Formats: sequence, structure tokens, C-alpha cells
Amino acid sequence: MTKPRKAHGEKNRQAKTYDHIRKKASDGDAVVMTAMEFKRFVESEGVGKAAEEVDIVTTGTFGAMCSSGAYFNLGHSDPPMKIQRAWMDGIPAYSGLAAVDLYLGATELDESNNMLHGGAHVIEDLVNGKAVRLKATGYGTDCYPLKEIDTYVSLKTMNQAVMMNIRNAYQNYAAAANSSTKTLYTYMGKLLPELGNATYSNAGEISPLLNDPYYRTIGIGSRVFLGGGEGFVVWEGTQFNPGVARTPKGVPKRPAATVSVIGDLNGMTAEFVKGLTFTRYGTSLGVGIGVPIPILDEEMASFCAVTDDKIFTAIFDYSHQKRSRPILAEVSYADLSSGKVDIKGKEVPTSPLSSISKAREITEILKKRILDGSFELTEPVQRLPLDRSLRTLEVRGEKEAMK
Amino acid sequence: MKTKYILNFNPEASNLPITHNLIAEYGLLVNILRAEIDEVGGKMLIEVSGDEASTKNGVEYLEKIGVGVRPFKEGVRRNDETCTHCGACVSICPTDALSIDPETRKVKFDEDKCVACGVCIDACPPRAMEILI
Repeated sequence: MTKPRKAHGEKNRQAKTYDHIRKKASDGDAVVMTAMEFKRFVESEGVGKAAEEVDIVTTGTFGAMCSSGAYFNLGHSDPPMKIQRAWMDGIPAYSGLAAVDLYLGATELDESNNMLHGGAHVIEDLVNGKAVRLKATGYGTDCYPLKEIDTYVSLKTMNQAVMMNIRNAYQNYAAAANSSTKTLYTYMGKLLPELGNATYSNAGEISPLLNDPYYRTIGIGSRVFLGGGEGFVVWEGTQFNPGVARTPKGVPKRPAATVSVIGDLNGMTAEFVKGLTFTRYGTSLGVGIGVPIPILDEEMASFCAVTDDKIFTAIFDYSHQKRSRPILAEVSYADLSSGKVDIKGKEVPTSPLSSISKAREITEILKKRILDGSFELTEPVQRLPLDRSLRTLEVRGEKEAMK
Repeated sequence: MKTKYILNFNPEASNLPITHNLIAEYGLLVNILRAEIDEVGGKMLIEVSGDEASTKNGVEYLEKIGVGVRPFKEGVRRNDETCTHCGACVSICPTDALSIDPETRKVKFDEDKCVACGVCIDACPPRAMEILI
């Protein structure tokens, strides 16, 4: 899958190994800090001392993550049924799988077209312990004769209920504003006319992938905090794009890496799994993700020392209905989180969209879980690639598509 | 003293220069925060500044001419359990009633500053804001 390459970290003498850190953690001797605590520690004590003394830094993010969803195995009815179409609380679930397996996407909307209630809300309800009305139809076969069912399901009735998100935890994200004369309703929230506001959607300095810019420790097999419970990174996320411009310290200046994650809905809490509605865009799932980063050596310590004033993104003009939108300003996350940014000489108020307070809460919870031994650090079984680039969808002929 | 009132008019009262009268006759400072009018009458949210006696006289005048007057206490309510403190509301709130605490990074809601314009209602992704008037 990936070309052999000289990876970051390989030139460094590994000061600590995963085994060493895990042993310290199980002995109750590990030094664990939240990302915020670690940055303050580095500021006062320096990177060298931080690398020596700190074992794990906990990072976190909570935001709208559209490429989220959950799959279910409902158990078999009697007589059994091959489900062809299914609705969970009125939201269509994909059933082009085995007889009673479904996948419900966060942005799937109910068919009344009100764009308010979607798959995300059904997932939140299930996590909250609620029962969900399941309607399904089938075409009837010799082995699956039942053609229709109308019942209720909950986490207690299903065999599997698993969150499976194909793109989460963006490493950096674009910011948005609107130079037109009318209000825009977007997945970046309500954008007021004439640069009335700007929105951004990243936890910045405490966000997982911004603390591990070259994916030395976050990889396939990493155990993570997911929606209040536990999960794993299973693959690179979709639209994984590590080749964007970076700062001298390696921090991407545009949306770059993403991760695909999986975890049992049982054990999650609605505090970190939230159905969201973006007016006139649709629904999305608010997902909380936390990742522990082992401070293996000085390079990792220096990566995790990054602060908001050293992380940059661009504010794009969403009034242009094009794939590539013009850039209005380049800003740091320190600028964005100050509450106001300068766009073409105008002072524009900002909104984060990503909940920094929840992200911080996640870093605290994860720290506590590591310290009490209920969360174990894992070493990735395979690293995320550095050689992906972003392709586009064009209208093309059959032969052209095969080139 | 500053007090906020919600005024409800029938169509007849909508034609009277009541703001002018409150200012000229009762010596009150009137700030119109919100006003709506339709076929069944009108609704206005005003903030009145003046001493206690003048405010009382002004309110009595309004009641005498048939305007429904009720003190405005709460125009928008936030469901604290639903709010995720994402901050989507803070940059669109015209009166800075919603802001982010720089320390905790939680969204603060200052009800005194709120004029119940309702801009935050459909901008809130978890739908934590509710308009009451």
C-alpha cells in the first residue's frame, strides 16, 4: 500500500519505547499530562526536560464530523427477512448488506425534507438508551420469506451496534466567511453577509493530529477515546491529504490528515455523541475523539509543544460556489480564538464550531483513564501514509477514467 | 433605571405616536430593540430609561390607550444540557449577549444584553436555544 520511506523519528535515538511507557503506566509511575498542561510545562522547563520527564500527552477534539455513522446487526425475525429497505425513526438506513445488517449515516435525512432530523440524531438517541422505531421491507425469498416488519430496537436488542466513521478528527481545517450580500447557510454554520462573521472548526493546539504532524504515533491500531467510550483508528480517513504546505515545524497549513475510527456504541455517552443540525445544510454528528500521544523522544515533545500562534489556516470565501474558493486571509488559531480576525481591514467576529471546552474535557478524562489503568496506550500496527494526494471528480469518459 | 417591556398593540394603537409621547410627555429614553407589525396588530420590545415615577406613569399611559404591557424578563432560553459550547452563536449575536469565556472556552449567555432577536435559534447546531416571545 505505502512506498517505503524514511519516516520522521527514525533518525532519532528512541529515548523511550511503548513497552517502557506501558510498564510505567501499569505500575502507576507514568507521567501523563493533558496537551494544555504539557505546553505550559515545555514553556517553563524546555523541550529536553519535557521529553525526559513526560510519558504521555492526551489530546482531544469535539466537533461536527459528517462522515460518521453506525452499523447494526438487528438479529433475525421469525420468519426471517432479507431487508431491502429500512428506516430507523424515519431515517433511511443502508441495507445492501447481509439480511439484517444496516448502516446508518449521520447526514441521512428523514424523507419529509425538513432537513432537521437525521441519522446523527438516531445514533444519539440509541447512545442515550432510547428505543428506535424500525420499519423494514423485503422482497421475500425461499430462505427469507418475511416481507415487512414494524418494531422497535435499542442497544439492548441488537447484536452489534458499532460506530464506524470513515473520516474524523481533521488535521487542521479551513475557516469560512462570506463576502456576498446575503446570509449563507453552510456546514460551516450561518455566514453573515459582507464578512459579518467567520467560522472555523478545529480544536487547534490540543487537536490530536496537530500534535503528531507526521503521524509517528497515531496510526492504524491506535486505541482512542471515541464518543465517551473506546475505539480504534482503523485506516487513514477519506480525503487524507498529507502533502499540503506545512510550517517549518511541520504543521499543515491546510486540511491534511484524517482518521477512520471504529468503536462500540455501547459504552459511549450522549455528552460526546451529539446529533447536530446545520440549518439549510442538514445534519451531522458531533463526535468527541481523544488520542494519547507517547512522548517517545525530543522530536515528539517538540511536536506536542505546538501552540495556537504556530498553527495556521486560511479563511475561504464561501460566497463563491466553486470547488476552489478564493482565500480572504491567512490567520493563526491564536487570531481565530481571540474572537476577532482582520479580513481586508475589517474586524470580523469569529465562532469556533469545534467545542474547545469539550475537547479539553476529553483530554482530562483520557488522562484520568490512563492514570487509573482503564485505558491502555497501543502502538500502531501500521503507520498512516505520507504519500497521498487529493483527486477530484470530473465529468470524464470511460477510457479517461482508467488512465 | 432601565427596564425592558414587551408591548402588544391592536391595529388602532399601532397608529398612535406612542414612542414620541413616552419621550416628550414622560421624559423617558426609549430604545426600540425589536418591532413587528402585521394584520392583527404589533409587538415591540423596548428598553425604557428614566426614574421610577416617570416609568410608572409611562406604563400607565400605555395601558390607558390599550397597549398590552408586560415586563420582559426572559426572551431566549438556553438549555444548558444540550449546549455543547461550540460557539456557533457568538459571532452572529448582534448584542454580544453570547460570548466565549477566554479562560474556560465555554459560551456565556448574558440575558441582560439579549434582545430576543432570535438570530441564534437556527444557528445552534444542537438546537439548545429557544425563543420565548
